[in-house]
Amino acid sequence: MQRREAIRTLSGIMGAMVALPAWAEKWSVEKIAGPTLLDKGQKMILTSMVDAIIPKTDTPGAAELGVSRFVELMIQDCFETSSQDLLKKGLSNLDSAARTQFGKGFSRLRSSEQLQLIKSFAQGSVQPDRDFVNLVKNLVIQGYTSSEYVMTHITRYELVPARYHGCVSIES
Amino acid sequence: MSNKAQTYESINFSINGKDKNTYDAIVIGSGISGGWSAKELTEKGLKTLLLERGRNVEHIKDYPTTNMMPWEFEHRERLPLEIVKENPIVSKCYNFKESSAHFFVKDKEHPYVQEKPFDWIRGYQVGGKSLLWARQTQRWSKYDFEGPARDGFAVEWPITYDDIAPWYSHVEKFAGISGNKDGLDILPDGEFLPPHELNCVERYFSQKVAERYKGNRHVIIGRCAHITEPQPIHLQQGRAKCQHRVICERGCPFGGYFASNSSTIPWAMQTGNLTLMPDSVVHSIIYDEQKRKAVGVRVINAQTLTATEYFAKVIFVNASALNTNLILLNSISNRFPNGLGNDSGVLGKYVAFHNYRAGISGQFEGYLDKRTDGRRPNSGYIPRFRNVAKQETDFLRGYAAGFSAGRSTSSDRSGWGEDLKKGLFQNKYGNWYVGSHMMGETIPKETNYVALDPELKDPFGIPQLRINVAYDDNDDKMVKDYLEQMTEMFEMAGFTNIRTRDDRRNPGLDIHEMGGVRMGKDPKTSMLNKWNQIHSVPNVFVTDGACMTSTATQNPSLTYMAFSARAANYAVEELKRKNL
Repeated sequence: MQRREAIRTLSGIMGAMVALPAWAEKWSVEKIAGPTLLDKGQKMILTSMVDAIIPKTDTPGAAELGVSRFVELMIQDCFETSSQDLLKKGLSNLDSAARTQFGKGFSRLRSSEQLQLIKSFAQGSVQPDRDFVNLVKNLVIQGYTSSEYVMTHITRYELVPARYHGCVSIES
Repeated sequence: MSNKAQTYESINFSINGKDKNTYDAIVIGSGISGGWSAKELTEKGLKTLLLERGRNVEHIKDYPTTNMMPWEFEHRERLPLEIVKENPIVSKCYNFKESSAHFFVKDKEHPYVQEKPFDWIRGYQVGGKSLLWARQTQRWSKYDFEGPARDGFAVEWPITYDDIAPWYSHVEKFAGISGNKDGLDILPDGEFLPPHELNCVERYFSQKVAERYKGNRHVIIGRCAHITEPQPIHLQQGRAKCQHRVICERGCPFGGYFASNSSTIPWAMQTGNLTLMPDSVVHSIIYDEQKRKAVGVRVINAQTLTATEYFAKVIFVNASALNTNLILLNSISNRFPNGLGNDSGVLGKYVAFHNYRAGISGQFEGYLDKRTDGRRPNSGYIPRFRNVAKQETDFLRGYAAGFSAGRSTSSDRSGWGEDLKKGLFQNKYGNWYVGSHMMGETIPKETNYVALDPELKDPFGIPQLRINVAYDDNDDKMVKDYLEQMTEMFEMAGFTNIRTRDDRRNPGLDIHEMGGVRMGKDPKTSMLNKWNQIHSVPNVFVTDGACMTSTATQNPSLTYMAFSARAANYAVEELKRKNL
């Protein structure tokens, strides 16, 4: 329901022809409900998966930067139902594989074990499992590289570059 | 809003009835051309009512996304599927995204009938599409104005380059146009602020092309409506130097690029002569059979759907090309049963557009020790080189092209875990990429037309527009030639990995629809005279894209600005001479 509310608010805003001086507020993250595509257990598996794909090192990992929420939100809002099903089924398969191979749920595995399973899905012969891992990986990369942390501290996005130089040394 | 109310009250104090709604001039539409009409008319002292069908958008205040960081867009600029599915037409536009969707018309808001596929991209708000445009501002040349007469299509233009040149200068100085004085007769120089820079590979390509084609083909930096060095006239508008943010479609808080909102409308407001009325959908123009002239307009309030009439001595129609057609077609009287001023029967016909179907991309393995720095709200430009001085090919006219090169670091996305994390930021520079897209002139034809649907109405009770516009054989031949010529040029320059495309996009997606109310010398075959007046209703002026007799290859907005300024000044003179 929350999600539908949020979408309705969004379409309302976008469809409206009225002047909306306070329009910008409606876009803020706080005012739009979080994704509700996954249940609690699925969210936990996804968060572990996201963190295994881009882990914490001397810089934050993807999960710490909220990328798990981003992946779920994108698949919920911007993808077809088939992709949403692919995600849910994939998370379930991943957890089953963890239980079969390691005797416990995916979230409780060491990150090396988690990566081993994710890679086996990515390189395996089951097409939906491969598609599932690709879908998540691509969104993890997108969410991570476009996160505030990465764009501020690593890639250093400039909102106001105020310049264009057409021929500088790559060393500079 | 307070500004608006103030102006409105000061003009209309204690006057009732018809007088209350009477002005010297009415301008329909506040986009790039309407803003110019309003500026010129108010500066010359005319009490002017500027009608806008959409909501008000005040400079800066109503640019809600303008200072947002990329990560603040929940879907990173992608729109939710629900919105995309509800809006199959506008969703095709490259600029319809999370940060700018609020400036586009959603499909359901203003339905129309596609007799043939046509993507009609619209921006209904104060400022119109001037908030969203690509900001390329190339002058037409004499070869463009001479086209129809030389090649025997459409009708002869009633003006020459020399007639419009001073008005190009007039609008360029005020709008702020950056460009390089290239000295080309195919693309005349203007009143330029300093140019943007071509990068190493673009310069290299420019030199190779100049050598190979012996000065008959040129790769230059685009001329664009960005303030690269503010002049006093720009500072007076409250506009500052472009900061190279290149997120222009959100609205620019610096006023770094030209939009009605940052420039002509506040300027007109400052004269004290402007009344800006948003949410005002023009139903039709009122023709007085006794006075034998237009006396006003019927307006539907977009919120309340109530109708009100407003009156003026002169009316400027700047509603955007196809909506201007719609308004005139819907302005029916005993004298003009087929649309205002439509004695000739050409109203709505000879609609044309720009052919943007084809593109080419490739790579360049030179200048590998170089990169670019910063961002550039502009690109390289290749002026038309086909059939310029005489007919040379099996198709009429020709195409201009965008051209740009760039270089970015590649990432290695193949790994997992810590490897992936490292791979994403390996900062290895790959080859330069190069790319171009075509901008082809299309030939106006009687069979490319718009008309009113006899039954279907829009949400305001106004007939829906039926659009019947398509490519023809000439366009297909031009696509083929563009791809052949560009491939030859790319190969000659040593570019590799060359890929060509013809996306067969629908007409309309170029957002350069023109014509239907064309200018011409003869009232029997055209709607407007050389001053953009309707031949038979001379107090109505049409100076937006609808007036175009042919399309040339240049991005058209600068020419609409020049037509608007020229016609508005003429209207003022004619009023003084009591001719209107």
